[in-house]
Amino acid sequence: MTKKLKLPFEGLRVADFAWVGVGPTVSKYLADHGAEVIRVESGTYPEALRRVGPFVNDEPGVDNSGYYANFNSSKLGMSVNLKHPRGTELVKRLVAKCDVVTESFTPGTMARFGLDYESLRDVRPDVLMISMPLYGQTGPWASYSGYGHVLQAAAGYNHLTGWPDGPPIGTGIAYTDFLVPHLAATALIAALDYRRRTGKGQYIDFGQFEAAVHGLGTAVLDWTVNGHEQTRMANRDPEAAPHGCYRCQDGRYMVLACFTEKEWEGFRAALGRPDWCDLERMRRKWSRLENQKEIDRHLQAWLDDHTVDPARPRPVDPDGPDLPPIQQFTTEGVVAHFQSFGVPAGVVQSPEAMHQDPQLAHRGHYWKLQHPVMGERAYDGPAFRLSKTPGRLSKAAPCLGEDNEYVYCELLGLEEEEFIELLADGAFE
Amino acid sequence: MPLAHPSGPLAGYRVLDFADEKGQLCARLLAELGADVIKVEPPREGDPTRQNGPFYRGEAGPDTSLYWWAMNAGKRSVTCELRLEPGRELLRRLVEQSDIVIETNPPGEAAALGLDYESLSRANPGVVVVSITNFGQTGPYKDWRATDIVGVAMGGHMYLNGDPERGPVRTTAPQAYAQANVQAAVGAMTALYARGVNDGAGQHVDVSMQEAVANAMDNAQATWDILNINLSGPGLRRNNRGMYGTRYLYEAKDGWVTCLQIGGLLGPANGPIIDWLAETGEANGFETPEWREKLAAVVDLTADELAKVEETLAEFCRTRPKLELVAEAQRRGAGWAPVFSPREIVESEQLAAREYWVRVQHDDLGESFVYPGAPFKLRETPWAQRGRAPRLGEHNQQVYGELLGLDDTELRRLRMRMVI
Repeated sequence: MTKKLKLPFEGLRVADFAWVGVGPTVSKYLADHGAEVIRVESGTYPEALRRVGPFVNDEPGVDNSGYYANFNSSKLGMSVNLKHPRGTELVKRLVAKCDVVTESFTPGTMARFGLDYESLRDVRPDVLMISMPLYGQTGPWASYSGYGHVLQAAAGYNHLTGWPDGPPIGTGIAYTDFLVPHLAATALIAALDYRRRTGKGQYIDFGQFEAAVHGLGTAVLDWTVNGHEQTRMANRDPEAAPHGCYRCQDGRYMVLACFTEKEWEGFRAALGRPDWCDLERMRRKWSRLENQKEIDRHLQAWLDDHTVDPARPRPVDPDGPDLPPIQQFTTEGVVAHFQSFGVPAGVVQSPEAMHQDPQLAHRGHYWKLQHPVMGERAYDGPAFRLSKTPGRLSKAAPCLGEDNEYVYCELLGLEEEEFIELLADGAFE
Repeated sequence: MPLAHPSGPLAGYRVLDFADEKGQLCARLLAELGADVIKVEPPREGDPTRQNGPFYRGEAGPDTSLYWWAMNAGKRSVTCELRLEPGRELLRRLVEQSDIVIETNPPGEAAALGLDYESLSRANPGVVVVSITNFGQTGPYKDWRATDIVGVAMGGHMYLNGDPERGPVRTTAPQAYAQANVQAAVGAMTALYARGVNDGAGQHVDVSMQEAVANAMDNAQATWDILNINLSGPGLRRNNRGMYGTRYLYEAKDGWVTCLQIGGLLGPANGPIIDWLAETGEANGFETPEWREKLAAVVDLTADELAKVEETLAEFCRTRPKLELVAEAQRRGAGWAPVFSPREIVESEQLAAREYWVRVQHDDLGESFVYPGAPFKLRETPWAQRGRAPRLGEHNQQVYGELLGLDDTELRRLRMRMVI
């Protein structure tokens, strides 16, 4: 009989000063895999995401934001007023009991409260601390503010997203907020493993900009090596034809890509081997790449004929010619049809479709967690499953200061009287 | 040439990399954190991604793929034919001396190559096997084919990008692959750490590219869950509760600039921008207290008023260079940023001041090139770039000789039998 395995980060405690998207996503990995992560927040200046929706019943409230909730599963919540005379002291007492400190303020903010790495190392010599502002701790842009919405522009994602004849629209979201935390978490856990083996903590200066550049594929080297500037090419790819996004009869979109000859053969077979596929200019990939517009036209016409909107079935014309019926697919059905011929294809899934996706349901990607204010809500789980020590979302996001009594009394050992005094004095606001 | 990097936090660990586009960046990040990463390739033709464009000077060849350079820099390369039993025997001996194996075979296909968790853990019970697949190891879509565009579509990200008129759009630099790689790296690290606290027990890490993309949906998942509203591609604007809200992109004199967050003309933090427009005499009447209050609330504007606001900011931006706009907006506390192209990123004063870029020697070409530098600065155990991507089988002698103790006769025999 093997003994029960520990969750990866069981026994580690994290003081999480970070906010918005990046920092909380990093500490969520630790929390969802067993660490005790304590969100250290201000009641006076609540974390930005607590102030942004979606709110349950459309009612704004610091404990009612789905935006905040999704990135803060499995964590505890404490509040502290760093402008209170005892604020810094209380936080330092907490850090003395923590293994990891995470923060994402503009450089200098933590130092202003006496909470920079050097000060925290004095109370906890082996502390591992990571700072994660947009542009790093140094340089002319160090003090620049912003969010992932604008960092994606500086980091090249706008330039590389959109139509070649249109503006650099970028992704519709704060994209880098959902890319760079994974690089930060990789470095943080690697440093944690080093600490586990050597007992040495350290400081990590993480600049979101610098991490984001690593998601640009070959765009940087194409410039530095070849002097060629890559730019947005809508839904095309330099190495595949067809490669694009196509409209189905229900108004939804599907995507399809043929990189290899085998995929092109499957594509031809899926369409029923129409004559145009046999044209000389369709024989070789380089030539297909030059004739993508023509392929797209044929494919779109085929989809117009072969897909159907289940809500609006096409009327049958009783006087029409007596032709064999055309097989018609739903959007999901036509994607499955191409897949059955070995062609990479997929539905452009809406958030609603994601919630109904049978594969994600099978994987248990969305965790339903009960929140005291928000009720039962869906939370994203990690993209990976560990076979022996899988992550688990142990609880819904914390309400602001929800665990103050635990943190101040149990963890820091404040007497009840002192706790109530501090409370009355606004130390937790 | 040894790829020394004893200073990283992962120094002393060894990684075997069998991955395609879904896992090569993951393995490279571990190399730059100090692990000895060995790319294992099929003999003769080598890894298929050596054929991925673009190419050095546009000339295709086994060692000229910039994709290969970017994703495999700092790794060693050995050849090993896993379809032959002696190749699988070499694999078993390598796995005995490795900590992490990264593979991207479709579910069920790894076993034939001896790359499934069962076989690998028999050789080394402590090994962490990271399997990165399109949709995960099990489930109704497990056998579906996917490339990057299928990943971003099925993962819900592409729906959020694009334009109301022209439909969804993919980011040209592949992001489903990027997401799968970086989230798999977290999975690999988590399992490695778990091994350390669980008496050396290895395990299997099952990574889904679709799920990795699903984690990049911003607040759209919660917006559906809570309000039953589908956010979708908003073009130049931001998508707020399903409505195309504030415009955030404006054309500057020399490119584009993003003006939304913490201070555009619309929204609660617009004060400094209105002050700025008023100082230059370009506020168009919006500097009055009544208008300030109205603009801060956003929702009460008529279509005509909204158009006038946007035209005012558009006029203002159009006559000024983007870096000047950004510097002044930032000085006033508004979080604007420029739209940078790859060239402008390389020329960025911020990245230069941070000494970000590294120069990588390509001894085989007699040249050196600029590569992206540290994505994180670890003070005690620094990140380090470890040299160019390897040529096919460049380290056969080194790895099979020094690591496995094979002598020249044995290596020659393996080569003649097409095993390496």
